[in-house]
Amino acid sequence: MSASAVYLDYAATTPVAPEVAARMAECLTREGTFGNPGSASHAYGEAASASVEAARAQVAAAVGAQAGDVVFTSGATEANNLAVFGTAQYYRDLGRHIVTARTEHKSVLDPCKELERRGWSVTYLVPDEDGVIDPARVAAAVRPDTVLVSVMQVNNETGVIQDVGAIAELCARSGHARIHVDAAQSVGKRSVDFAALGVDLMSVSAHKAYGPKGAGALLVSRRRGAQLTPILYGGGQEGSLRSGTVATHQAVGMGAAFELASAMPMLEHERIAALGERLWRRLREMGGVMLNGARAARVPHVLNVSFEGVEGESLLATVQPHLAVSTGSACMSATQEPSYVLRALGRDDRLAESSLRFSLGRFTTEADIDAAGTVVTRAVERLRQIAGT
Amino acid sequence: MTYNELTRRYFEHPVRLGTLAGPDCYRGAAGSRSAGTWVQFDVRVTRTGLGLSVREVRFLAFGCPHVIAAAGLVAEQGEGGAPEPRLPQTIHSLRERLEAPVEKLGRLFVVEDAWIAALRGAAGLYQAPARGDEAPTGH
Repeated sequence: MSASAVYLDYAATTPVAPEVAARMAECLTREGTFGNPGSASHAYGEAASASVEAARAQVAAAVGAQAGDVVFTSGATEANNLAVFGTAQYYRDLGRHIVTARTEHKSVLDPCKELERRGWSVTYLVPDEDGVIDPARVAAAVRPDTVLVSVMQVNNETGVIQDVGAIAELCARSGHARIHVDAAQSVGKRSVDFAALGVDLMSVSAHKAYGPKGAGALLVSRRRGAQLTPILYGGGQEGSLRSGTVATHQAVGMGAAFELASAMPMLEHERIAALGERLWRRLREMGGVMLNGARAARVPHVLNVSFEGVEGESLLATVQPHLAVSTGSACMSATQEPSYVLRALGRDDRLAESSLRFSLGRFTTEADIDAAGTVVTRAVERLRQIAGT
Repeated sequence: MTYNELTRRYFEHPVRLGTLAGPDCYRGAAGSRSAGTWVQFDVRVTRTGLGLSVREVRFLAFGCPHVIAAAGLVAEQGEGGAPEPRLPQTIHSLRERLEAPVEKLGRLFVVEDAWIAALRGAAGLYQAPARGDEAPTGH
């Protein structure tokens, strides 16, 4: 991968914003708030604790939560694990059934599979061909023994938005299941209002929003009385839900990043939407292309496009020196595994493999988009010529 | 996935790409696009003072970079040789030269199958008159 390759993989991760990095650096050295935020017996600890609590308030404010709802974790994966295992364990006497979707992130699906191995029952809903989960179907899948419904708000591969508010409202009428939302891809891309959505749990991530990797949070609604059994034990930090010394610099970085995200002007969203539309117009000119989730509500930052008549690995090998994008397949050493998300949308293996996810961000320019359009068009036309298609 | 220099070269600048047509041309194909790998060879065979010879080869391929590179290499090496239904070098040797992972051996066998299919057709072209059968028309 050339360092000069155009970066269009912001859904995978984002660079830390310079102002965020500066705030983080202040927490690392002797001159800064390096103390253990759990050390209440001296000023160093108190200063660090104050920084963490300020960050907690920033995160909460950015997503419409109360500061007391925020449980810092090592990222959205840990938050999702805590949501699934923690809810299942806490409410195990009420039932052992979970409802989720086939298009969820692995950090939700794999804990669900583990629970199945332990005797739980899981319903995996199949989306329509645009990746949308009908809220009525979610509610219909809820049973008297369902203790958790977990649905992501913005899909990481397609950018498709689920109506989690409607899902929460319908599920509330159907039973007592707790509602978890994986919102790792939401912050900075659309407004997030934890309280207004009427959900119990929400996972968020810092590094998708110009914050540091290794930082995230699970929002646990105190107002709704959500309860969890921890999956980590030790010092009882984070309200005993996540033991372990809170990484002050990570929390501070996350808080600063979320504050920046919530202050992002509407003009910036419109700029990115226009760039996404510009890229799609360019790509569809060549024909034989399909925008996954085209008819669904999507965040404009993510375009997932399938290219007919080309082989996935060759497509990626051709564009990779020039573009940093994600493919519709997860490279597993020498073999490729077609994207399970695109397969769930009904794409066959070949089309799923020959798909590229372009995700745009703060530093994406019109020149980047034009370069990407040229590189991909040339690659697809060349491979179609080699394949005689 | 990383590719060695030989694979990169034959993938990025494929040689002998395309198709051939004519009564002295034969086509062989193997695999399927829906299964992820498909290769087609066209060979033009002529009679020289020394016997039969593969004068020209062209290929099309739907597959990973190793498959495209392998097909190009086979097409290039096959020209000038006798139209015998076997690869100019073994598939294992080809895999080693391209440093293709062993998991890709199955895909490389598709290249071999397509080549053998084309050369079997070519062999039939020249054996037929000797047996007094109807002269084949190619393709």
